[in-house]
Amino acid sequence: MTMEMLLLHDGITDVWADEGFPAASLRSDEEVRDAYERLGRRRPVVWIVPDDSQLVALAESGRLLESNHRLLLLDETPSVRKDLLHLLFRVVVAPGKGVSLLPPDELREVLASDERVDLFVAGVVDPAAEVAMLYRGNLAPVVVPFAWFRRRDPSPKPSFRDFQITDYGQSVRFGKYEASTDAILYAHDADYRRRAKARRLQQDDSIGACIHRLRLAKGVARDDVPGVSEKQIARIERGEIGKVRAKTLAAIAARLGVEAAEISSY
Amino acid sequence: MPFSLCLPHAWATLGWKAKIREDERNEEPHVSILFKLWTWRLSLRTGEFLDATPPPRNVPTELVEWVWDCRDVLRAKWDEKYPENVVFSQKEER
Repeated sequence: MTMEMLLLHDGITDVWADEGFPAASLRSDEEVRDAYERLGRRRPVVWIVPDDSQLVALAESGRLLESNHRLLLLDETPSVRKDLLHLLFRVVVAPGKGVSLLPPDELREVLASDERVDLFVAGVVDPAAEVAMLYRGNLAPVVVPFAWFRRRDPSPKPSFRDFQITDYGQSVRFGKYEASTDAILYAHDADYRRRAKARRLQQDDSIGACIHRLRLAKGVARDDVPGVSEKQIARIERGEIGKVRAKTLAAIAARLGVEAAEISSY
Repeated sequence: MPFSLCLPHAWATLGWKAKIREDERNEEPHVSILFKLWTWRLSLRTGEFLDATPPPRNVPTELVEWVWDCRDVLRAKWDEKYPENVVFSQKEER
């Protein structure tokens, strides 16, 4: 049983606990206060809480935001209470307007799995700021600008008013448009990219292969890199040029929108 | 709208899906086979899995064969969604 996740009990979560959900159980105000004081100093702790009234005891603790506690509420909470919770928890995810949360059965499976960090459990869109905030299974947020979803001129166009996390957190849907969580994390998390690369069945670490993958990911044609000819790009990608000049690499990196040193992480 | 291959009833009711979404990791044309928490990416050029994990052996062979038999449709759908990275021109480039 892990102390990285804490489960407060009620009718729903009792069933989770009975089915072996890998979280430490808290059953009283005293246990809640004690866990809040003791944990979350070094590593983030995810609290899974059915009802916000179970956290009222924490308001007396006086240790606001000193720890890395993250809260997943399963029920809606009034906005006033949410303000309080934001003082107690570094991250608060709760159902509500504009928020998409996985259905309970999928949520339970994702949170209980070793892959939870690479799956989304919830998200919220901010139309004014034009961003989507997507929460991984450890409640770490990933902020994705709307522009990223529109960058390829996809058809259909994403409809940000109609937002859903689906497929056990493996897909993000905006109306009829759907993106894979894998693609989102690959684009926005260097650590995820490194792990994905390490897992690749037929791994090719050459700079040419990295440029090839990155160029395709960005949707840039070979003849669309100012200062570098189409033929030259093709030769680099095929590994026919042993050492790529720094100036050439810088031109490619600039067109692909990354730092030159970052290319090898793709 | 993502292209979802219509799988035989037995696989579909178990929760298996095969789809090409508007945004897939765009390094090699592929179809994503989904089951609960896991995704397997099957190359639309070679019919091989692109990743070692999750283990490809966890996808039933009959399902892989069924999906691969639909490769013409899948390739056309991929090319439609990703005209900058179509299945066959990339093969020729390499």
